[in-house]
Amino acid sequence: MCIVAFAFYSCSTPKGLYSFDKYQQASYNYLKKADEKSINEIMVQYQKIITKQKGIRKVTPPGMFADYGFFLIQRGDLNKGKENLNKEILLYPESKIFIDRILKLIEK
Amino acid sequence: MKQSIYLLLSATLLIVGCGTTSKLNKAQAYKGMYEEKPLSVLIMPPINRSTNVDAKEYFHTTLNVPILNAGYYVIPPFLSMEILKRESAYDSELFIERPSLKIFNKIFGADIILFTKINKWDKSSLASRVTVEVEYILKSTHTGEILYSRKGTISYNTSVSTGNNFLLNIAASAINTAATKYVDVAKAANNYIFTDLPKGKYSPMFGLDKAEMAGLKVIKVRL
Repeated sequence: MCIVAFAFYSCSTPKGLYSFDKYQQASYNYLKKADEKSINEIMVQYQKIITKQKGIRKVTPPGMFADYGFFLIQRGDLNKGKENLNKEILLYPESKIFIDRILKLIEK
Repeated sequence: MKQSIYLLLSATLLIVGCGTTSKLNKAQAYKGMYEEKPLSVLIMPPINRSTNVDAKEYFHTTLNVPILNAGYYVIPPFLSMEILKRESAYDSELFIERPSLKIFNKIFGADIILFTKINKWDKSSLASRVTVEVEYILKSTHTGEILYSRKGTISYNTSVSTGNNFLLNIAASAINTAATKYVDVAKAANNYIFTDLPKGKYSPMFGLDKAEMAGLKVIKVRL
């Protein structure tokens, strides 16, 4: 049992609740450059995180639908963007205060 | 049954250990975290006091993942950056010492706020090592109290980051080796610091890690 537990909790690379692929690098590139290439790169990462989750929970991690929606809106895809913002609220009701505020801003 | 397995696992973890620990268990070291049971975390832009101008972004973009993996809700990073900028609240220095942070609960629904201070970023030219000194402070928006704080001097070997594949390394350096490596430094530091964070609501270990020994508040480690 101890061996099993050790394998589970070993200090090296335990499996996380969620998988993120190259999201962190893509986030950095976007924050630094915000050019067409870095936006495309991060959009691909969101799609991967949303559709190909390999983490323990097997659900989209918090914030991902919302940020993906934000990028879609910036690109002019308002409907799909709003749809993703609403998915965030559905999956994580604690986001409602903030996301409702964003949805109101968009309506203005 | 499930609970007892987790208890057994955490008991085993005590024996196995993951490095330097204090004499306190997590329930003692992070009392406020267990009492308030925060769910939503707002990440504020790091305060960069180091000489590396890019350090802020290296850290900023790698903070949400370890906190998410610990079982918390992290307020969408890019959306929150946008709103903080709009509200002229993007400068963390303005808020870090404030006694009341209730406004962040009202606007973002945040229970806790993460502040980070990057004090040092030193690159040794001989060994491909980067040493960073960073402070992490989680404050409650309900009480203004500090619920979790750790300061780490973390030395990271960047030569292992891109792997041993020669061709891959050449390809990587053609893109931007430095940025890739340095994102890895920040990732390693953040991951290390947050291994001690009591598990949040979305973790199967939520509320079951109280007896684990807490890490030291001030740490020095080579990774």
